[in-house]
Amino acid sequence: MTIVSGKAEARRTLQSARSDVLRKMWEHRADYAYVLPAIAVMLIVIAYPIYYTIELSFFNTPPGLQLRDKIFVGLNNYTAILTSGVFWQVTFNTLIWTVASTFFSFVLGFAAALALHRDFIGRGVLRAILIIPWVISAVAASYIWKWIYHSDFGIIGAVLVELGWAERPPNFIDSVSTVLPSLIVVNIWREFPFAMIMMTAGLQTVPEPLLRAAKVDGANAWQRFWHVTFPHLRNVSTVTILLLAVANFNSFIIPWIMTGGGPSNASHIWITHIYELAFGRQRWGVASAYSVLLFIILMTLGYFYVRALSGNERKDGGA
Amino acid sequence: MSTVSETISRGRSARRVRIDGWRWGGRAFLVFMLLYTALPMIWMLLTSIKSGFAAMQFPPQWWPDQPTLDSYQKLLDPQNSVGQDFLRFFWNSLIVSTATTILSVIVAVPAAYAFSRFTFPGRNFLFFAVLLRNMFPAVIFLVPLFILMRAIGLVNTHGSLVLTYLTFGLPLAIWLLKGFYDNIPVQLEQAARIDGATRFQAFVLIVMPLSAPGIIATAIYSFIGAWNEYIYAYTFLSKNEQLTLPVGIQRFFSENTTDFPGLMAASFMMSVPVVVLFLLLQRYFVRALTEGAVKH
Repeated sequence: MTIVSGKAEARRTLQSARSDVLRKMWEHRADYAYVLPAIAVMLIVIAYPIYYTIELSFFNTPPGLQLRDKIFVGLNNYTAILTSGVFWQVTFNTLIWTVASTFFSFVLGFAAALALHRDFIGRGVLRAILIIPWVISAVAASYIWKWIYHSDFGIIGAVLVELGWAERPPNFIDSVSTVLPSLIVVNIWREFPFAMIMMTAGLQTVPEPLLRAAKVDGANAWQRFWHVTFPHLRNVSTVTILLLAVANFNSFIIPWIMTGGGPSNASHIWITHIYELAFGRQRWGVASAYSVLLFIILMTLGYFYVRALSGNERKDGGA
Repeated sequence: MSTVSETISRGRSARRVRIDGWRWGGRAFLVFMLLYTALPMIWMLLTSIKSGFAAMQFPPQWWPDQPTLDSYQKLLDPQNSVGQDFLRFFWNSLIVSTATTILSVIVAVPAAYAFSRFTFPGRNFLFFAVLLRNMFPAVIFLVPLFILMRAIGLVNTHGSLVLTYLTFGLPLAIWLLKGFYDNIPVQLEQAARIDGATRFQAFVLIVMPLSAPGIIATAIYSFIGAWNEYIYAYTFLSKNEQLTLPVGIQRFFSENTTDFPGLMAASFMMSVPVVVLFLLLQRYFVRALTEGAVKH
């Protein structure tokens, strides 16, 4: 009884809420004009491709991408992915790549932001230099590091030999065991400035009087950091880590240019693998199915991203 | 009496030692980060002023014996075939990036303003939908966009790049600008409207000038993003005379696999415009980027 009336009640409020929404939408119709261009562009280039990728993932499409000749294969593309050995290897690589890159970029960036928080001569210059790797093209960065890691004339190998730590220059990116860590070093080089920028801004919001009060009460530097500074930075940290994780999960250029996923798939991550399946081997169906899986993973991450962001909004008393 | 002052001074010196420990740790760390960041770039510059022969030596010439600007001359010489290509790629990148920048400012400004000021139904949903775009890698959109571009005849044109760059630049541009508009007091516009301005006039005459730093930052961000973009350009363009720099340099290198000085010189020249732009305007850029995540 109560359940039924509760349901009816809910339906009634839902209905009135719906007409409310429509009325409000009509009242605010002029406001939509401002967002319309942005939404229109997004729809063409985002919603349509997502729909199309999902459709293609259930078909086998011939190599030349003749769409009229595509054959419906149901879930075959998905089972093909999950039963292939490469899938698990690539997933494992992606996990290591994403977690290690995100962790070290964040820690190094945060530490740099802390070290640069106190004013000193040349701070601005130093900060600018540290940000440059993030600004330059990833293609340029890949070539610079490819040259640094070069197996015959690379500078790191030469330094190791000069110091007597190695007989001859090691193969950094041509060996299965060292290629992934070597590429992660390059990725961190490019990503840590982002964490530094975000955390620098975050540090500026920590109230100075609170820190001084803690100091008067006898808290040491570590205690002040852990009990005052860090709690204030929780939101910024969450957003920064999520953005880093997504960017790293989605990276393509560094592995693609430096190794192309080799040797023997040791540096293939999801994105490079999908690209190779699609535009290298022209297996459009499998590549699309991979994209759909990727999409699902990212939507899950996106959920947390939006929650972290709207948490920010709420704390400020809404917009 | 004396014991009290003694304890106090001892406590003080102990504290100073501790703080100094942190400070020295911080300095050492900054030196390490400076080396990590700068050494690769310095090595790029040093290699770019070597001859091809000098670069391929073991042990390497730590400092070039005979510095030469040959690689730069070759890249910038319009008579040379390499120089012709490089200058054309440079010009293509410039056109694509500039067009993207102008368009994204035009589209992002009203959208960000609406998200900041108006409370229309679906506002939050649309805002987060726009942000979510940032979550997805280019690869997901690549195949269908390729088909779409082929269908509307944009493959092998710069238009295909501008259209795609516009969308992946938009979410962040909107987010950045919204942060700026949130910080401009609504009362300013209200005053203008009391004085008889329409909402649109208030927007153009009052809000736009105040948000100039945000617009500058958004423009830099779009420009850098478009300038550095690789994967769409790599997929959509196949004609040599239309390539942008990142793809062009890759093609250049796959043909001259041992010309490392040339490659380093090209990488350097490709980085110059964005680094200069960034250094000139970094104040706006850094501020805008953090405005959305951190509110002051």
